[in-house]
Formats: sequence, C-alpha cells, structure tokens
Amino acid sequence: MDKMKEKNKTAEVSLSADAISEKIKRRNKIYKGVSVFLFLTPALILFCGVLIFPIGASIYYSFFDWNGFGTKTFVGFANYVELFTSQIIPFPLALKNSLLLAVLSVFIQLPLSLALALALGRGIKGERFFLSVFFAPVLISTVIIGQLWLKIYNPDYGLLNSFLRQLGLEEKIMALTGDIKDVLWLGNSKIALGAAFVPILWQYVGYHMLLLYAGVKGVPVELREAAMLDGASYGQVNRYIVIPHIKPIIKISVIFAVTGSLKSFDLIWVLTNGGPLHATEVPSTLMINMLFLHNRYGMGSTIAVLLIALCFLFAVLISAAFRKED
Amino acid sequence: MKRRLIALVLAAAMVFSLAACAGGGKGGKTKIDMWCIATETDSNRKAYEKAIAEVTAAHPEIEFNWEAIENQSYKTKIKAAVAADEMPDIFFTWSCAFLGDFVNANRVYCLDEEYKNWAKDLDPKMLNNTTFNGKHYGVPTTMNIVVMFANMDILKKVGYTEVPGTYEELIKCCDKLLAAGYTPFGCSGKEDWCVTEYVEPIIEKTAGAKAWSDIMTGAASWDNKDVAKAIDIFQEMISKKYFDPNGAALTNNEVKANFQQGKYAFYMNGSWNCADFFADSAFFPKVKVSEFPVIDSSKSKLGQLIGGPSDTLAVAQSSKNADKAAAFAFELGKAICHYGYLDGCGLPAWTPDYDTSSVNALTATVADIVAKSDAMVLFGDTIQAADIANIYLSYVAKVYGKQIDGNGFISGLKKDIK
Repeated sequence: MDKMKEKNKTAEVSLSADAISEKIKRRNKIYKGVSVFLFLTPALILFCGVLIFPIGASIYYSFFDWNGFGTKTFVGFANYVELFTSQIIPFPLALKNSLLLAVLSVFIQLPLSLALALALGRGIKGERFFLSVFFAPVLISTVIIGQLWLKIYNPDYGLLNSFLRQLGLEEKIMALTGDIKDVLWLGNSKIALGAAFVPILWQYVGYHMLLLYAGVKGVPVELREAAMLDGASYGQVNRYIVIPHIKPIIKISVIFAVTGSLKSFDLIWVLTNGGPLHATEVPSTLMINMLFLHNRYGMGSTIAVLLIALCFLFAVLISAAFRKED
Repeated sequence: MKRRLIALVLAAAMVFSLAACAGGGKGGKTKIDMWCIATETDSNRKAYEKAIAEVTAAHPEIEFNWEAIENQSYKTKIKAAVAADEMPDIFFTWSCAFLGDFVNANRVYCLDEEYKNWAKDLDPKMLNNTTFNGKHYGVPTTMNIVVMFANMDILKKVGYTEVPGTYEELIKCCDKLLAAGYTPFGCSGKEDWCVTEYVEPIIEKTAGAKAWSDIMTGAASWDNKDVAKAIDIFQEMISKKYFDPNGAALTNNEVKANFQQGKYAFYMNGSWNCADFFADSAFFPKVKVSEFPVIDSSKSKLGQLIGGPSDTLAVAQSSKNADKAAAFAFELGKAICHYGYLDGCGLPAWTPDYDTSSVNALTATVADIVAKSDAMVLFGDTIQAADIANIYLSYVAKVYGKQIDGNGFISGLKKDIK
C-alpha cells in the first residue's frame, strides 16, 4: 500500500514536472515569437513603407486620369489599354529598346565580365590593379560618365569622330548612317540607340566582373589541380569546373543585368533624354516624361506598375530557367 | 541628480529648437523661402542676386532663403512639391497653362489684394497670362520675345550691312552664305523648344498672329493650310542646308556657343540672350537683332511676334505668411524686372521708373521692336496645357527630323490634340 502511494506520488511529481517543463517551453516559444516579431517589425515597417506601400499606391493611381494635384477621375484599365495602343506614347518602342538592352547585357556584357573574371581569377600579375581599373566605372557617378561620353560622341570635336576622321573612316560611316556633315552618334535616330547602349554596357562590365570574380575565387584549388592532373586544359578547367561551380552567381548576374536593363534610366537621360524622336526611349524615361512633363500621374503610375511586373516576371523566369537546367 | 538635470536641459533645448523650426525665422523674423531657376549659368542670375540683395536689405524683419534649380529639373521639382503641397512660400513659374494647373488645384495664393498696392507700376495687361477666372495669381518679372540674331561680320562677307528685311532677301542671303561656305542657321535638335523658336515665327509670319493665336488657345482647329505651308517652308530651308546638320545632336548651349564663335550667321532664340551676348565683349559689336521677316504679307505683317510675359513669381496657398510673401514677391518681381532689363536679359513687364539709358543696344532694339508690335502670341509650350504642349513639341521634333511634312503636322495634331 505504501509502495503504491509512493508510486503515485512519484507519478504526480513527474507529471507536474512535465507540466512545468511544458509551460516553460510554451513561454519560451512565446518569448521567442515576440522577440522575433519585435526585431523584425522595424525592418518590416521600412520594407512596407518604401516598397510595398508605394507599389500599392502606384497600382491604385494607375486606374485614374490624374495630373498629380487636381481631381482624380477613375478610368479603370484605360491607361493600360492606351499604353499599348496610343500613337503618342511610344511604350511598345520603349519596351523593345529595354529588352534589346537586356539581350545585349546578357550576351555581350556578361560574357565579357565572365572572361575578365576568369582571367583575373587565375591570379595573373597585377590582378588587384586590373580589378580596380575595370571596377572604376561603377564607382564614378553616372552623370559624370554621361558627360564624358557626350564629349566622346560630340559631332564637332568629339574623340570618336576625330579618330575616325584621322583614319579616313568618317565619310564611309556617314554614307551608311545618312549623316551630312559629321556622324551624329546621339543625334541620328538610326544609330543613337546603339551609341547610348555602349556606355551602359561598358559601365557595368566591372560590376558583373566583380561578382563573378568573387565566385571564381571561391572555387576550391584542389578541384582545379585535380582536373589539371587529369590533363584538362585551362579552357576545359573553366568550362567543366569553374563555370558550373559559379552558376548561382551567374544566375544572380543575369537577373541583375536583365532587371537593370528594364529599369535603365540615368545614362539614357543624360545622353539623349530619350530622343532623337524617341529612338532611345526606355520605359523609365517615358515614365518621367508622363509624370513631370505631360502631368499624367495616372499614366506614369501605369508604366511604373508594368515595369515592376516585368522585372518580377523576368526574375522568376530566369530563376526557373536555371533551376530547370540544374 | 546631476545627470537628470543635464537630460532635462538637453530636452528643453531640443523642444525649443524644434519650436523655432516650426515657427518663423531666427530672432522673431518672418521666414520666407523661394525657389527659382536663376542658376549660376542662367542669364537672369545677376538680376536675381542684385534684386534679392536690395529687397532683403530693405526688409530686415524677413529672413529670406532662396534656392536656384536648373530649368528642366525645376519643372519636375516644383510639380512634385505642388503634388505634395510642400511648396516654398514664393516660387518661380511660367505663366498660362503651367501656372493654371497649380491654380486649378487650389495651390496658389490669390494676389488681388496685394496687387492694389502695385497697380500704378504694373499694367493690368501684363497680368493677362497669370489671370484665371478673373483673379490674379502671378507677379511677372520680365517679358521676352523670339528674335533673330545676326552675326554681321559674316553677313558683311557676303555683301550685307543690315539684316535682310524681307523673306526673299533672307533666302538670297542664305544662298550667298552657303556659296561662301558659311552655315546660315544653327538650331538645337536636342531641346525641342529650340525648334519652336524657328517654327512658331515662321508659322506666324505665314498664317498671321490671329490664326496662330486661335490655334494655340484651342479656339481654332489645327487643320490650317497656312500652318502646313509654313512647315513646308521650314523643311525646305532644312533641305537647302540652311541649318547646321550637326544641330540635331547639340544642346542649345552648344548651338549658342557655335553662333558666338562665328559658326552660324543667324540664331533665332529668346531675347533673354541679349544679356549673354552683351557680356561677351568680343562678340557684342558683331551682333544685330531683328524680327523674322514676313512670308505672306496678305496674312501677316511686321510687328506680329512670338512671346510675352511668362517668367512669373507666385505665392503658395499653403504659405504660413502668404500675405507677407505676396508683398515680398511683388517687390522682388519689380526689382528683378528692373535689374533684368538693365542687364539685357528681358524686357520690362513693369513700367520703368529708373534711368534706362544704360540698357545695351541689342535689348534697346528688342524693346523698340516690342513697342512697335501689333500682336504677340505666347510661346507654344507655355500657352498650352502640359500634356498638349508636349504632344505639340513631339510633332515639332518630327518636323525638324523630317519624319513628317506640313500636312502630316496639321493632320497629326488635329487627330492627337483633343
């Protein structure tokens, strides 16, 4: 009987110890939840305030005909329809231009960046120096780069035309472009787009190179050496060891290059303002025109919404494409 | 205890400093802020500096702060400020539609009461472009017109001692200039408004001021054969290589510099350039100014001009010291007009009550042209509402790029401007 009582007592004690431990666990869980919430809330508020709320506001304004300070008129999807059907707002052309820039970024800028990253990642002499030199354009203000290229492209005294003149090539190029006096790199609608893209591609080669270089440097030396011992050439090591190893970084670079192209604005604005005759128009320049020159806040917001949607869509598509390949 | 005392003192200091920010200026002064476009490179900069120095010295009770923003950026900044209702007390604006949008949004302070104190110096006609529903909302500073500047050194080389007075003579002169290896005109294609400085006088001198004014104000349709004819005339001048083909890739500043360096014989632009040409002592003796000659004398005549009072100061409805800001804006506007006229960067919108004998010869000639003027139609990108003005500018750019002809211009604008 005593034994029985003792057993029950022990059971009760162990039960209450379990309950206490359960209680402590629950309390810890609540504390953990509260502290996670408290630590994350400021960042969440900031994220919502600077990203989610403005996107929501842009979506809201995109359904209105509004000049930014007067009364708003609800127009439903009319702004979206007008954007693709209007003869005045060259949105399809702007979109085509930015997609072309995205293609050029992926197929010219990134291979160039990868080549530089592979070359520098090999540990060549003056590696640090070249790294700094190639990265320098990223550090320089875009406005300064724009001014620099404006001088290069100036039809009268620009470096490019002077150089071509010395080589006797200017007239041959003029025959192709249809220019009369000098080659108008930024003033001829046939060639302005290409001329405006060159500085953009040039400026960000260093940026992608640095990303990829970090990846190349992260490839274990043993892997390279093992491949070399097996008789792989330098090219084969890069192709079969290094590039597959840095694929996640290449994916990030591709996403940055494509979304960056869709959002491109600053250099185009400095170089051409979207002209001549909208030849270099991209969605961002068009958006600014609509917002602040045409006083069409509703239409400007519509372009902003489409731009966000496109960037998101391309980021998802690129991720999916890389996942599929993996 | 000591720590608590320090904390208390610091807190009190913060509260007082915040209270000082929220209230007026330092030492009980009334704080008035102003935004304008008179940057370091702007022709009006000196006039603004002199006027501000004079007016602020006369009003020690006012703490005045001003900021100058580059023209194109300013358009963006002021519109964003109006949208957020965070404008400075006084702000620069262009008259007509640009100011009209802000007035319609109830963001601009009505100046009717304050105008009564200045009416003797400011003709009510000068307020036409800033009057909406019978109420005045702007203080004009200077007025400007489009004029044709000529480099007489170049013209003398092809036998001209005066600027050609008729259209036929001008064409003959251009042919002679081309034959002698000179480029007659320079026009920036990078800034669409510069093309309107050619297109609008040519249209006005072909179709007449009344017809052009009616189109600009929406009283008449764009479907006007004379406008199409004028555009064809302008494009013929381009085809004949009267214009520097490189102009398409140049900014207005670059074209103006080329004109001052003797690369072009003529340059059509606003009369505000007189100040910069006057400041260039080597160039000033070479330059003369006139209006563009008449093309169709049955519809137009000399004295029909493009321009008028456009540069304006306005007061924000949201200003805490709107009445004081209004008085300050009038006094400042008058002083800017005074010094601007003497510097040569504009004609007086205010009646001059000072010695004008020191006004440079170019500005004096422009004043004479205006005095004899018969009609003035304000600049197309100012008179029309922002959206319409920009559609119009895009068509003007297409004309300069020869993407459309005269008929394409009128039919396109008729279709797109409703």
